[in-house]
Amino acid sequence: MGPLSRDAWAQRLGAFRASPSAFMAGPEGEDLGRNLLGDLRSEKLSEQTKVSLLALSLEYPAQLWPDVSAAEVAATSLLDTLVLLPPRPSALRRPLLLAATTALAAGGALGPTSGASCRLLPLLLGLASGSDLGRGFVPASEQRPLQATACECLRELESCKPGLLRGSLGLLRGLLGQEGPVQPLSLLLALVLRNTLVLQSRVGAGLGGLLTDKVSPTGGGPWDWTLVEKGDGRLQPQAPSWPAAEEGEGERSLTAREHSPEEARELRAAVIQLLDTSYLLTPVAQAQLLWLLGWALRGLQGQPPALFKPQLVRLLGTAQMTLLHAVLALKAAFGEALFTAQDEALLLRRLTLAAQHPALPLPTHLFYLHCLLSFPENWPLGPEGEEAAPLLLGPQLCRGLLPSLLHDPMALLARLHLLCLLCAEDEEEEKGQLPSPRHYLEELLAGLRQQAALDEGPRALATVCFQASYLVTRCLAGQPIVLTPLIHGLAQLYRVRPMLASHFVDFLDQVDSELREPLKVVLRQEVVSRLGRDEALCWHLKMLAKVADGDAQSATLNFLQAAAAHCTNWDLQQGLLRVCRALLRAGVRGGLVDLLQVLARQLEDPDGRDHARLYYILLAHLAGPKLGVALGPSLAPPALASSLVAENQGFVAALMVQEAPALVRLSVGSHGVKGPLPVLKLQPEALEPIYSLEVRFHVEGQLYAPLEAVHVPCLCPGRPARPLFLPLQPRCPAPARLDVHALYTTSTGLTCHAHLPPLFVNFADLFLPFPQPPEGAGLGFFEELWDSCLPEGAESRVWCSLGPQGLEGLVSRHLEPFVVVAQPPTSYYVAIHLPPNSKLLLRLEAALADGVPVALRTDDWAVLPLAGDYLRGLAAAL
Amino acid sequence: MAQRAVWLISHEPGTPLCGTVRFSRRYPTVEKRARVFNGASYVPIPEDGPFLKALLFELRLLDDDKDFVESRDSCSRINKTSIYGLLIGGEELWPVVAFLKNDIIYACVPLVEQTLSPRPPLISVSGVSQGFEFLFGIQDFLYSGQKNDSELNTKLSQLPDLLLQACPFGTLLDANLQNSLDNTNFASVTQPQKQPAWKTGTYKGKPQVSISITEKVKSMQYDKQGVADTWQVVGTVTCKCDLEGIMPNVTISLNLPTNGSPLQDILVHPCVTSLDSAILTSSSIDAMDDSAFSGPYKFPFTPPLESFNLCYYTSQVPVPPILGFYQMKEEEVQLRITINLKLHESVKNTFEFCEAHIPFYNRGPITHLEYKTSFGQLEVFREKSLLIWIIGQKFPKSMEISLSGTVTFGAKSHEKQPFDPICIGETAYLKLHFRILDYTLTGCYADQHSVQVFASGKPKISAYRKLISSDYYIWNSKAPAPVTYGSLLL
Repeated sequence: MGPLSRDAWAQRLGAFRASPSAFMAGPEGEDLGRNLLGDLRSEKLSEQTKVSLLALSLEYPAQLWPDVSAAEVAATSLLDTLVLLPPRPSALRRPLLLAATTALAAGGALGPTSGASCRLLPLLLGLASGSDLGRGFVPASEQRPLQATACECLRELESCKPGLLRGSLGLLRGLLGQEGPVQPLSLLLALVLRNTLVLQSRVGAGLGGLLTDKVSPTGGGPWDWTLVEKGDGRLQPQAPSWPAAEEGEGERSLTAREHSPEEARELRAAVIQLLDTSYLLTPVAQAQLLWLLGWALRGLQGQPPALFKPQLVRLLGTAQMTLLHAVLALKAAFGEALFTAQDEALLLRRLTLAAQHPALPLPTHLFYLHCLLSFPENWPLGPEGEEAAPLLLGPQLCRGLLPSLLHDPMALLARLHLLCLLCAEDEEEEKGQLPSPRHYLEELLAGLRQQAALDEGPRALATVCFQASYLVTRCLAGQPIVLTPLIHGLAQLYRVRPMLASHFVDFLDQVDSELREPLKVVLRQEVVSRLGRDEALCWHLKMLAKVADGDAQSATLNFLQAAAAHCTNWDLQQGLLRVCRALLRAGVRGGLVDLLQVLARQLEDPDGRDHARLYYILLAHLAGPKLGVALGPSLAPPALASSLVAENQGFVAALMVQEAPALVRLSVGSHGVKGPLPVLKLQPEALEPIYSLEVRFHVEGQLYAPLEAVHVPCLCPGRPARPLFLPLQPRCPAPARLDVHALYTTSTGLTCHAHLPPLFVNFADLFLPFPQPPEGAGLGFFEELWDSCLPEGAESRVWCSLGPQGLEGLVSRHLEPFVVVAQPPTSYYVAIHLPPNSKLLLRLEAALADGVPVALRTDDWAVLPLAGDYLRGLAAAL
Repeated sequence: MAQRAVWLISHEPGTPLCGTVRFSRRYPTVEKRARVFNGASYVPIPEDGPFLKALLFELRLLDDDKDFVESRDSCSRINKTSIYGLLIGGEELWPVVAFLKNDIIYACVPLVEQTLSPRPPLISVSGVSQGFEFLFGIQDFLYSGQKNDSELNTKLSQLPDLLLQACPFGTLLDANLQNSLDNTNFASVTQPQKQPAWKTGTYKGKPQVSISITEKVKSMQYDKQGVADTWQVVGTVTCKCDLEGIMPNVTISLNLPTNGSPLQDILVHPCVTSLDSAILTSSSIDAMDDSAFSGPYKFPFTPPLESFNLCYYTSQVPVPPILGFYQMKEEEVQLRITINLKLHESVKNTFEFCEAHIPFYNRGPITHLEYKTSFGQLEVFREKSLLIWIIGQKFPKSMEISLSGTVTFGAKSHEKQPFDPICIGETAYLKLHFRILDYTLTGCYADQHSVQVFASGKPKISAYRKLISSDYYIWNSKAPAPVTYGSLLL
């Protein structure tokens, strides 16, 4: 395809700009980047068209050349185009340099292995130094502008790869001292200097001769990829966040390194050199220089911040936003070291003045107001990060900054904030200040409410009124003297303009209960004192749905009854039902039953009747708390955007038992041996707060009588829970597996059912002791039991290994409660009752060092293998 | 300190989108840094379409403000600066610097060199003030000397090339775009050494210095017990110095007559090289006393090529130039109005024009008017519910004039008659518009002989003065009126 015409390109660029993503997804998208590069060399296109192509590449390199290799190819092509330009003045050189820089930096191709980078950097540095690049590469008339452009390109590369030009510091300094264009060189030098200081201190190195060496020490060019590669991804903020910097941890330690006297002197000379010529820079460039140098020198030993002093008076006199902002940055960076208390007061006065100066535009005023409330004080008192009036900003200074109804909404809110801060302080200070700020505040709020009450007023007026009220409640919480009139004023506003109900609902949602509860009461009174028939009925119902609760039931129900007759359309009926729902949730029952019955019969709309009936059924069948949960906000996201479906889903979720993963764990503890039945001790543990826990057990194979469920009122994670005791009623003395289910309520009110892992009742868990025989009768008692086992029972002998603790240890650990006769350390007679009515008798006699022979008898054949396993288990557990 | 993108959007109420993006420029290298700095809180710059929609919504410039929308109208969404967070595709783009002026929305997104969550305080973001300055610069460029839409379009079409000079990589180099334009035009001129960056060339021709002082007087008059009338003078000194040489030095002194009112709240142009501390500290915040610095106010500077505002000041003159009262009463179907205006004897009684505008808000069209005036003529704009009392070039010898009459209104129709949230019921004002040439209320003047110029050739020095009214309100004393805190300090 040949080159496109100028018009075709204009059309294409227009289409691309309208929506780059759509264009790139279209048929022409793929080739755009390539065509653009190709057509830059076309002889048919005018320079103007080519400039517009380059302008596009400056803005959208990521779309044109989406990956690193494409960016590298593009940059190479752009550089080739630049070299091939005929040696006459051309409007393309500047944009080509910018485009090649952008392609490399934005495309991520900038690096030591990139051929284009290795061509571009020397070219830029050569241009910046004003050196002759030969063969008429730069026509004389373009030398100066290109020198500036090259500096800008280098600065951008240094911004993206801090430390890249570290080796050029001396060179740049020399250029600034000679003939170079002041502004581009100053800004470039300042940036490289700042980056170098940060990086050098990070690696613990000094500046060395960097500031004086005209030639790079690294060789191969004055750019340095080593630091860049190390510091990659760690871009340097031109001004680190102030509060973070105050913490002092990172930044201060970075710059804490001491420089040698020689280094310090050179550094100071370089900074003075930059500051002395700073008046030659445009105001915005001066501001950048100050930000860069201020934060670079912060905390640097041997670099007194007084270096900046000569600039300050000049800067304080201006109204230039960037300059005043830069002064504030210096203030934040150096604090008392640069600004005495008097200086601080002067700065505050200038800022106060600028925040209200009639010659400045509103956005400037607002920004300065913000600066006042975030002013970096030498000795801040309040909590960090919160807006507050600086100590030196007394009522006298604030006078001109107080709000009036004539202000633009943003100015009004900003100034109102200041007024609130004054009122908060005024509380503590002596009265008698006339007029009192609080009184003025009240008048102002009343005025705002009057505006919001206007029938034809735009919504913005109401919004400002509520924003102002909210701001006041935030700043002056706990001051009934302010809040009480506010509440009544708002109630009055509602009386006049109920259509602001949405704003009221939002306001109630946002404010603290200190204001919310009393406001709810007065608003409810406002609503229910109306007759049901009212043009604003829909707003009243909306309001009431928010403020109705258990109080003043009869008035509310009377209102609703009266209103029901006028709810003739679906909207109003839904509004009415929403209030009913709110009342249901609040636990209102009495009169509501009647109302719902009436509604279920009388409402015209079938949907409304259905809802009323549903609520009636719920009310009749559910206990209060359950009802509250059922009618709460739907827990499951609705599958359909229908209110009814959403609501029903809520019911389904709330009223049915949910199958859920187990939020509780049970573990078997040591078993108790008191009482007539074996009792299993269970230790519950909750993963989330759960309530009304019921644990149900089922024994497989009917080995035991059915087990009672265990109830726990509530379980919370992290809080020690009481153990649960589960009495077992064995039908035969055998171990068993228990299936466990849990039923509980979550904190969101859902009832859940969960399967828990099975529990195992071991043979030993069934052991009970025989009643203790009288003192001295033990042996006789045991012998009697021993003899009674035969002939129906069974007899066996088992070898039981012993551990280092010997027989004594074994018995005390496992058999202690059942020992009838003891002759430590060699002989024990043990009698175990196995419910329901079996016995197991053990004679452990003549223990040897490594084991003991155990004679055992039982009256139940079935027990014998279990007992054998048990004893062997004891041995194995050693 | 850089900008990620900048937009100019024309606000077009009544059209489907309510606006059009007239210009936009993105800075991909800054964007790349934003991605690294912002980390997980990074939100990319959207395409123009979604940006337009989100910005107009946030600024309440869409036509659909009928319904309450929480994300815009909630009482807790309080914006106290012209810096916004825009919800775009579920993410919030912040900070967006934006303001509306003359139906154009100026917007940009400064780079924040740290994470955005939690949001750093605006004061610590260096790009914010730069963003403002950038937008102000574009605004100045678009509206300096621009008279109609086609000129605006021409200037808009010049923007891409200008920004290539003034802001090639997102870091603003010069907020004065006119400089960049001149720079482009005079690219062939080789610049000498140590040329200030804010001065793109040198002047060749007859040396001349022109100084013009414009004072605007504002006033709020209530004619009420317990509420003080307020007034203030705001002065602007504009200079144009056509002088040869790279860095000619000029000192201009502003002088006051013996009983003149001291200048306060002085803000100077950045080209002013030094300032007397008396100038720096003279402020309207302090109570006035006789010891206040009363000049001469010396401003040494090195002028830029173009016309510039050397300084702004305010001043508290002892009396307002025109003192008036306005009484309005509702009498059944009509309003009865009485107005009295008195020019102070010390004020030069030669006006370029002088008019009193008497608007009636939130009412229907004027259907009937009966009036009597001691001086001047009355123009009636029935549909706009507005009376204009044309006083003319001079007050009569008595210095006092009056107007009284009754006005009757028809039924209100919402579209045509003006709405005002403040002028409700009998709350009403009249507004004075006047201009006096070769006069300042403070008495401030630039003495031609005290202008010092350190440059080759003796320049011709010309000085101009004028006084203009601005926000000069006289409120109906028979009804409540909005007061400022200052009015309550008696």
